[in-house]
This record gives sequence, structure tokens and C-alpha cells, in this order.
Amino acid sequence: MEERLYDLIFICRPDTPEADIDKVITTLETVATEKGGKIDSVNKWGRKRMAYRVQKLREGYYVYMVVRSSQGEVVKELERRLKVADPVMKYLTVRLDEELKRQDKLKRHRERRAARRPRKTVPAAPPMPGTEPQAAAPTA
Amino acid sequence: MAEENAPQQQSYGSSGGGGGPRSSGPGGGPGGRPGGPAKRGKRSFVRKKKVCRFCVDKADFIDYKKAEILAPFIQERGKILPRRMTGTCSRHQRWLTVAIKRAQNIALLPFAAEL
Repeated sequence: MEERLYDLIFICRPDTPEADIDKVITTLETVATEKGGKIDSVNKWGRKRMAYRVQKLREGYYVYMVVRSSQGEVVKELERRLKVADPVMKYLTVRLDEELKRQDKLKRHRERRAARRPRKTVPAAPPMPGTEPQAAAPTA
Repeated sequence: MAEENAPQQQSYGSSGGGGGPRSSGPGGGPGGRPGGPAKRGKRSFVRKKKVCRFCVDKADFIDYKKAEILAPFIQERGKILPRRMTGTCSRHQRWLTVAIKRAQNIALLPFAAEL
């Protein structure tokens, strides 16, 4: 199975100390590596106001990470861990590789079109001088 | 927002002509509308053609993590704005709805406004 890329965001309770959040992150990292995956990056967004109340709280500590794995088991286990972790209120995993693939494809497509466009506009240019003499003829 | 809504309601009513007696509301700004009716009656208003914001930016991907990009496309009550309001093209609207729904799930955007 080819490698897949996931976005993993989780929200901790805002009152959890930084050390506990780091602990959650390190456990997730070890779990991921155990199962044959890899955590590419971890980005703490910090305390943010949430769009709606979760567990009667308005704020949450957001942590964003990118997970890379070729086994579905990795995500399953990560989500299970997040579910049982006490400070975690909410989490979301999104599979991204297919969207990135699509993004790549569109980019390449556009580049190819951009490369072709100059050739296209060159034949379009000659009619322009052609119309000018016509317009000039009645006046002459 | 209000500028966009008002002209759009006109386009509903004026199915045949280029703006019948219905088009008495605030018209869009000046500027030709390609493909629109050529005749300009006394009452007709010329609407500014809306363009897809993502096409202008040549977006290949709409990031659900950037709530500030998605926020203009939801109503005050949290509904996703339809294409006819925002002028988003169909492809980008499809991506946009997915992005908005993801953002809602991680509390970056509201499902419904709180009272």
C-alpha cells in the first residue's frame, strides 16, 4: 500500500499545563512509530477561541500535526489514544494525499497550458493588424 | 455582503428582458456584462459580473484550516452561502463546502450561530 498523508488536529482543554500536552504529543509520536507510521511535523497553534462551545468551554488548545503512514492501523490507534486521553476534547483526522495529488495535477495542467499560451497568441495577433487597414480604408 | 445580495435578487425576477419593472432596487456598479442582454431600457441596471474568488487566485486547494478564508462564505447563522450569492464557480464551491464542513468539525467555524 502506498503511503498516505493525514492531517491530525486535536483540541485540549485550555487549562491543561503545557507539560501534559507535550506528553500527549510524545505518546502519539511513539505510537505512530511503533505502528510503522511517522509524524512529519507538530505545530502548536496554542489557545484559540472555538467557534462553538465544546464541553461547555469556549477556548481550546489546538495542536496540529501531519502524519505519514502506509498502514490504516496507525490512524486507528492514534484516534483511540486521543479518545482516551483526558486533556483532549476533540480531534479530527483528514486524509490529504489524494487532494494533494489533485492539486499537483492541476498545477501541472496549468503550467502546461501556460507554456502553450504564447504560441496560441501569436497566430491570434496577425488578424489584429488586418482589421486596422479595413477600418482605415473608409477614411482614406 | 449587502452589495452582492441585492443585485442577485433582481436576476431572479428578470428572466426574459434585461431588467423589467422589478429592477428598482439598488443596481450593481457600472461595468458591462458580457453575454447579458444588449438593450438598455430606461429601468435596466447593469450588474457587475461576479467572478469566482478562488479562480482569480488560481486556487488548487482550499485549506480547511484557514477559517478566515472560509468565513466570508458562511451566513451569519452559519449556513454556507450558495453559489448564486458569492459567484464561486461550481468546482470551487464543491471544494469550499468540504473545507467548511471540515472546519466546522474542528470548531474553527460554527455549525450554527450561538444565541
